[in-house]
Amino acid sequence: MRKLRFGILSFAHIHAWSYARVVKELEEAELVAIYDDNPERLKKASETYGVKDTYTDYRELLKRDDIDAVIITSENAKHAELAIAAAEAGKHMIVEKPLATSLEDAERMIRAAEKAGVKLQQAFVMRYHDATVTIKGILERGEIGDVLVITTTNHGKYPGLWFGDPELAGGGAVMDHTVHTADLMRWYTGDEVEEVYAVIGEKIRSELRVEDNALISLKFRKGVIGSIDCSWSRHEGWPIWGDVWLGIIGTEGYIVVDAFRSCINLVVDGKPLTWVYFGSDCDFNMIRDFVRVVEEDKTPRATGYDGYKALEIALAAYESSKKGEPVKLPLR
Amino acid sequence: MEELGVALIGCGFIGGVHLGSWKRVKGAKLVAVVDIIEGRAKRAAEEYGVPNYFTDYSKVLEMKEVDIVDVCTPTYTHAEIAVAAMKSGKHVMCEKPIALRLREADEMIQTAKKAGVKFMVAHCLRFWPEYVAAKRIVDEGTIGEPRIARAYRLSPFPEWAPWHKDRRLGGGVFVDMSIHDVDFLRWALGDIESVYARGGVLKTRDSTAHDYTHAILKFKNGAIAYVEGSWIQPPGFPFTTYLEIVGTKGMLTVDNHTTSAVRIFRPGAPPTDFTPVEEDAYYKEIKHFYECVVEDKEPMVTGEEARKTLEVVLAAVKSVEEGKPVKLPLGGEVL
Repeated sequence: MRKLRFGILSFAHIHAWSYARVVKELEEAELVAIYDDNPERLKKASETYGVKDTYTDYRELLKRDDIDAVIITSENAKHAELAIAAAEAGKHMIVEKPLATSLEDAERMIRAAEKAGVKLQQAFVMRYHDATVTIKGILERGEIGDVLVITTTNHGKYPGLWFGDPELAGGGAVMDHTVHTADLMRWYTGDEVEEVYAVIGEKIRSELRVEDNALISLKFRKGVIGSIDCSWSRHEGWPIWGDVWLGIIGTEGYIVVDAFRSCINLVVDGKPLTWVYFGSDCDFNMIRDFVRVVEEDKTPRATGYDGYKALEIALAAYESSKKGEPVKLPLR
Repeated sequence: MEELGVALIGCGFIGGVHLGSWKRVKGAKLVAVVDIIEGRAKRAAEEYGVPNYFTDYSKVLEMKEVDIVDVCTPTYTHAEIAVAAMKSGKHVMCEKPIALRLREADEMIQTAKKAGVKFMVAHCLRFWPEYVAAKRIVDEGTIGEPRIARAYRLSPFPEWAPWHKDRRLGGGVFVDMSIHDVDFLRWALGDIESVYARGGVLKTRDSTAHDYTHAILKFKNGAIAYVEGSWIQPPGFPFTTYLEIVGTKGMLTVDNHTTSAVRIFRPGAPPTDFTPVEEDAYYKEIKHFYECVVEDKEPMVTGEEARKTLEVVLAAVKSVEEGKPVKLPLGGEVL
């Protein structure tokens, strides 16, 4: 069997490390080359995954004919440049979320991929988590009747690194943590958001240059009500990085998804309690599915358009918070 | 200690809970119960050993031996009964919400002042063990300056009281149920500046009262909160609450299931979770009011405090209906 040959463009995003691990694990994939604009990080990734072909210029990596696909896990603001170059070089791609930091960039990326005839998969790993996939089936079979309300949280700790740099990240917690559950709500309802109201709170960590907490209220076109708490509101010492939580109220039932709650309680003498996750490996599922999408010429489960629409909700949240009023979609 | 006579009006669910608590307060003597349904008044009198029962509340207002009136009637009757009781010189404890209209709340507050009687609204979370502990943690500064909070209160529709389906009689889920969380958050985090809410009558047939509402509250000190009230949980869903407060130095969470001391499974019913304590929240609340009367102290939840909480939940109803954030103070009545 021919393996799908991957390059990874940047290890700036923490998820890059997990994706690299998956590409190494997958029988049908091979990690061929990596790029990073940070030489130290590049060296560390090269050593961690035993990848000899390293680049500090992504154009050199993209020139290689023996690379089929790339995973773009740079800082958010650099996605567009890398993705457009990758498309022009004929590479299929997975792009970390959020797709971009502006709708203009997002649209340019989608257009470039379309023009080049390459796959652009948005890394909405939550569409590949076995818990959320199971619930998708339950909802599609109408087991809880019609969905009325979806309440969600994507809490986290402050991720550090460049996530606090407004130029590189495009924002703070709203940019980082709105899109996953916004996308799940779009996926579950098969509907688009019509109106967004959001309030960004005063910072939990006063030293940050970006917001670290916010609350978002949504209304979908067909009437479903939603909400998102996208806050980096978990302090150091909380037993896990955060959560993806959904409460789904239907006319005939109620579902709670606590996707990362499947954990062992672990204490090492003298240290705080930690939770060791044993649930679904959504990163693995996502990349395995991407390989299939490329091999069988399918449409990704989460496309560039899905990334665009989720980003639009995050950007509308910023606008709403600034104006103090609900904002109607589409923004453009 | 001086013995005070108590009359309780409204022998429904919460009336029964209060009767049980009054029974335990040393120095308080239940002298009469009232319910417009005679059989219910009679049963309550028998069960709690109360010497008199009536169907007309004005009867207890004439009784000299009644010092305290506990109003446990449906919300839409609170103002009329409380004001009449105060005018008869009775101290009044009134179930939440204080009323459904701000002018009614104002009249209650003014009448209590004029009559020189004690007046408290029974916002029971202020006596609920986990909420009292959470409030203490916030006050002690352990989690720093509060920044963002979440509070849920989820249940099937309260079919046991038909007036809940009439928005002008019960106010709907946020006014009746989320008022608990709003009052607690005001107590712990301070005054609220503006409210945005979404919801409506999503599921319950024949209801004019909202059965689902979520709200985003902005506090004067810069904190924000998400408060969700649902009466559209499926039948049999166990009553569920959740509280989370995140501050600059730490955070706290508590819910009513995972921290319960006792869980009981009965055939065909959802598990019941609770934490028995000898002095439960209702007993503490009622004993507190009794002590306020005897010792001439200001009650924990004054009419003014309850009015502020009412204003917030009414603002949420207004926001749902207008689709816009609502700044406080409210300009007029909502229901």
